[in-house]
Amino acid sequence: MLCLATGKAASKELERIDQLFFSYANNSSGLIDPEGIESFCSDLEVDHTDVRILMLAWKMQAEKQGYFTLDEWRRGLRALRADTIVKLKKALPDLDKEVRRPSTFEDFYTYAFQYCLTEEKQKSIDIESICVLLDLVLGSRFGPQVDYLVQYLKTQTDYKVINMDQWKGFYRFCTEISFPDLSNYDPDSAWPWILDNFVDWMRAKQG
Amino acid sequence: MVLHKFGEKLYSGLVGTMTLHLQEMAKTIEAAQGNLFLEELNRKWNDHNKALQMIRDILMYMDRTFIPSNRKTPVHELGLNLWRDNVIHSSKIQTRLLDTLLELIQKERTGEIINRGLMRNIIKMLMDLGSSVYQEDFEKHFLEVSADFYRAESQDFIECCDCGDYLKKAERRLNEEIERVSLYLDSKSETKITNVVEKEMIASHMLRLVHMDNSGLVNMLIDDKYEDLGRMYNLFRRVPNGLPTIRDVMTSHLRETGKQLVTDAEKLKDPVEFVQCLLNEKDKYDKIINLAFSNDKTFQNALNSSFEYFINLNPRSPEFISLFVDEKLRKGLKGVSEEDVETILDKVMMLFRYLQEKDVFEKYYKQHLAKRLLSGKTVSDDAERSLIVKLKTECGYQFTSKLEGMFTDMKTSQDTMQGFYAAYAAELGDSPTLVVQVLTTGSWPTQPSITCNLPAEMSALCEKFRSYYLGTHTGRRLSWQTNMGTADLKAIFGKGQKHELNVSTYQMCVLMLFNSADRLSYKEIEQATEIPSSDLRRCLQSLACVKGKNVLRKEPMSKDIGEEDAFFVNDKFTSKFYKVKIGTVVAQKESEPEKQETRQRVEEDRKPQIEAAIVRIMKSRRVLDHNNIIAEVTKQLQSRFLANPGEIKKRIESLIERDFLERDSSDRRLYRYLA
Repeated sequence: MLCLATGKAASKELERIDQLFFSYANNSSGLIDPEGIESFCSDLEVDHTDVRILMLAWKMQAEKQGYFTLDEWRRGLRALRADTIVKLKKALPDLDKEVRRPSTFEDFYTYAFQYCLTEEKQKSIDIESICVLLDLVLGSRFGPQVDYLVQYLKTQTDYKVINMDQWKGFYRFCTEISFPDLSNYDPDSAWPWILDNFVDWMRAKQG
Repeated sequence: MVLHKFGEKLYSGLVGTMTLHLQEMAKTIEAAQGNLFLEELNRKWNDHNKALQMIRDILMYMDRTFIPSNRKTPVHELGLNLWRDNVIHSSKIQTRLLDTLLELIQKERTGEIINRGLMRNIIKMLMDLGSSVYQEDFEKHFLEVSADFYRAESQDFIECCDCGDYLKKAERRLNEEIERVSLYLDSKSETKITNVVEKEMIASHMLRLVHMDNSGLVNMLIDDKYEDLGRMYNLFRRVPNGLPTIRDVMTSHLRETGKQLVTDAEKLKDPVEFVQCLLNEKDKYDKIINLAFSNDKTFQNALNSSFEYFINLNPRSPEFISLFVDEKLRKGLKGVSEEDVETILDKVMMLFRYLQEKDVFEKYYKQHLAKRLLSGKTVSDDAERSLIVKLKTECGYQFTSKLEGMFTDMKTSQDTMQGFYAAYAAELGDSPTLVVQVLTTGSWPTQPSITCNLPAEMSALCEKFRSYYLGTHTGRRLSWQTNMGTADLKAIFGKGQKHELNVSTYQMCVLMLFNSADRLSYKEIEQATEIPSSDLRRCLQSLACVKGKNVLRKEPMSKDIGEEDAFFVNDKFTSKFYKVKIGTVVAQKESEPEKQETRQRVEEDRKPQIEAAIVRIMKSRRVLDHNNIIAEVTKQLQSRFLANPGEIKKRIESLIERDFLERDSSDRRLYRYLA
């Protein structure tokens, strides 16, 4: 939902957006760094671990976790038509709705994983962080699945990290597989191996 | 008369006359009593034929002109038809004839002698009258009656005979019927009557026979009853589903006994014995299939699939087969002729072919071969090479290239030693004789290289060798494998006994210490030699605790090696042999932890092979779905090992992570190759 304001109103808005940016940015780096984000979040009255911050980051298409560039900031706030903290706060519920739409959610979900890759060549995320992330992005919608999955991930020893393919697999699992009976799960299909083991573990639990 | 246009009159006259005459004949025949009935019929038939001949000759002109143009039945044929209608089909004769014939056959079946010549003539008569006459008036009923007869007889037999006897009886009856046909029935009846016998005597009782307690197929197999088995094969092949029945029972029996064999704890204690049992079982069934089942290919296939099934039930089969080969090549084949050696090796290859985990065999074979080569304990170099060639033919160059590398290293080392001694001849006069085998890492089974402290004389010599070798081979690195060497020591004991001791390098290090000390504690030995403790304990045990080889004495005399134990030279050592072998470098069945380690290494080695197969397949197919990849990869790797679908899946995911492949965005089951 990109609204394009035209002319003077537009440039005024842009000015305010930029101003807001620089009020949080680190002067030497020209970016909003983790410290800046902390104060931004407290102004917004949203915890920095809240999923809505992640959604904001997605809206901005922020590349690096913990940092916002001017371009990203502009992108996000312009799309939300918010140039003040107040307006931003008001825009959050709508943002939530937008993200949760089936057509956009998968993109958000994939983004969430990439956002957590902090090192340059990094392709996987450690189990602890994955569990937190799963709960954050899928917990409200797929509570039971996430609970069991997290429990399993913490006890299994086959993998110490999760890659993007497996991450995507988790989401598809939640949307496609009937839970907790798992009746339509086909182990001969191309589900990631870790999910085959999860299903075996679930079945063993159910006895 | 024909010429004068009286053909019709002549013809009808003929018909009429003959008919009357035949009716007279019929009466005479009917009047015949008992046994004479057939004879009378036969006589009259002969008379009629003779007459018919003459009549035909006389009326030849009519036969050739009037009859064809007026579409009348020719004379001869007419004569036969009239005979048929007036004699054979006369109410008083027809039934009596059939009954008489069947009665005679019944008599013959119960052992009486009958007039076969007469039977032949009568039957021939029926055949001459036309195949429908033969079939309707005789054959049809003959078959029905025979079926009843054999149904009843087979029921009697099956109640009182054992399988072998029953089959003998069935075979006899079958042959009887075949003989009967050849002697006095129409040859076309042979298949029909044999079908009847086959159905009633064999097909109906097939399962009961095969599964008969104490005498059925399984008992015959166990007792090698070639004749009975052969008979069963020949009889059963005649009936639908006969051979499959035999084959199925044989297969399940074989699988069952095989399974018991490979899970029998007693047999598993001795790997060589275990493999010999497998070979014996194979020989047994090869002989059965050869002598009794006429080398039937479907039976050979059943044998092969059964062996493949149960050999792979025991995961140690690859190791045991390698140990069997090791025993043979180490001593078992001593004095055996070249031909027999080949036979035994071929039989081993045959077992090898059944293995699903050929890569496990390769690992063990390498280990065992290394030990054989390094200890110089192979009975025949030719036999070793012959087996390598067979493995190469079976598995390709890749499988054996490293093994061949091992042989090459041995040869090269010999040349190197010659060069070494030539170069240093003057200096080395007094030194111990050193024999070095230089092993190319990668060809030989990997060992962690731990060095220990060699006796001074040895380490000096080794250094000389090292500098000699590196002088001619720059850029290489040598590391001494002290856990793999051997030594021959000349020893003089307390009472002057002289012996030559063949020991491992570790044992040598320990023993040499006693040249400068009378008493040494475990700790002192450990410090001086720096041999790893578990190896050192085993080493000391072999030197001090084994009867007949206890060149050292230990205090206390317990079997275990304690940290505070003290060791002395055993001055009272005796052996009736001058040369005493104490080395511990023989290939043995692995201990549990060793087995786990080997298994782990095998699993690790399989991962890159699976990945290579996946990449190969995806490179050529570009896009492929999950189930097809699994199937193709499994097929490609089949000659090495049975790939686990879960493992293949893991490798695919690993390749996805490394951007070799990707999942299709819309169909999760499809994979795409990324160039």
